[in-house]
Amino acid sequence: MSFSCHNVKLYSPEYVDGRLLPGDQYLISSHLSDCEACTAYFEQVSALRGTVRRLAASPIPQDLQTKLRVMASRERASVEATRGSRWCAVWDKWRFRLNALMRPLALPATGGLLSSILLFGTFILTIGTTTRIVSYEVPLNAYKAEANLVPVELGSHTVILTMSFDGTGRMADYAMADPTCKYSADLKAQPSSISMPSMPTVFAVAQPISGDIQIKFLPLAFRQ
Amino acid sequence: MTDEDARLLRGLRAGIESAYEELLARYQQPVYNVTYRLLGDESDACDVVQEVFLKVFRSVGAFRERSSLKTWIYRIAVNEAHNHRRWFSRHRKREVSIEQEPDRQHTYDLTADSGPSPFDYALDRETRLLIEQALTEVSPVFRTAVVLRDLEDLSYEEIAEILQVSLGTVKSRILRGREALRRALSQRLESGLEAAFI
Repeated sequence: MSFSCHNVKLYSPEYVDGRLLPGDQYLISSHLSDCEACTAYFEQVSALRGTVRRLAASPIPQDLQTKLRVMASRERASVEATRGSRWCAVWDKWRFRLNALMRPLALPATGGLLSSILLFGTFILTIGTTTRIVSYEVPLNAYKAEANLVPVELGSHTVILTMSFDGTGRMADYAMADPTCKYSADLKAQPSSISMPSMPTVFAVAQPISGDIQIKFLPLAFRQ
Repeated sequence: MTDEDARLLRGLRAGIESAYEELLARYQQPVYNVTYRLLGDESDACDVVQEVFLKVFRSVGAFRERSSLKTWIYRIAVNEAHNHRRWFSRHRKREVSIEQEPDRQHTYDLTADSGPSPFDYALDRETRLLIEQALTEVSPVFRTAVVLRDLEDLSYEEIAEILQVSLGTVKSRILRGREALRRALSQRLESGLEAAFI
């Protein structure tokens, strides 16, 4: 039986490490005596192995040795503290496993928690304001059938209605500019004179601001 | 499990101080060597060594003694090194240390004159650097087998136990690891010679 060059190379680790059986050792040696390429390969591998084995071990740093001694001392103290208590030992074992399991998740979990706090902190004011606006009371008497509604006659001139709103969305005042001075009023005198539209959807999502709204009523002329 | 290991284990489980000291004295240098060769970085190796011994101290009570203490500790070291490399290769690029690289050559200055000549030191240093650089180019799976066999001088059976693979797989990994190392070194030497002649 003889080996091919490919098979001989497969045996190189055991040959170089001296682990081959005498029979296999003889067959490999006889192949090597006839094959220069394999001989060169085995010499290279053998020389490389010798050089790697001679690599100097890196001395362990002094501060690492100190840390290891401190760690050993702590662990020994914990062993002494739990000695005789089987439940403490079991608890320690599971706590250690849980700690090792959770350690890779600690950083992402902390980041997620902080992001959530930041996000809710930003929107919490909006949520509170929205709740307050939803409970806003629209004057009920504005829709009562018996409300004393006074029609404004436009005639041939323009009427300007100015409404003032406070910061909570309530209408604080209104005024109607009528060039002919036929009609003028304020909210306190005639609270039922203005019909307030009910817009709960808008109030639920919108942020009220204070300010004035001016509506201009223009007369329309139709040619007959 | 030898009698020596059994005695050491009893001491560790009983919290005897000398047992802890003996464990560190026996295994801190080999564990550091393996992790340093597998990771190629001193600070990473220091972190992993601490993790390894923390696991050893805390798991020694649960060690079922199916393997020797030596292969058990080596197995933890190899697994921790691989986990560390996988985790940090995803989450961290190479960082530049602000600390000065310790000059290992400096220890040669303190040795007696009766040793090898400065030329031998220079040659030895160059060879060591070449091999260390070539080792980093070998795939971690094969590098582990070569490091355990050629640097730690462990037997094939011990390596199989540490890596939890068959004896045939160990032989294959050593073969492929040495072959990869040989190729990496040849390429480095050829490129070095080309650079010298240009």
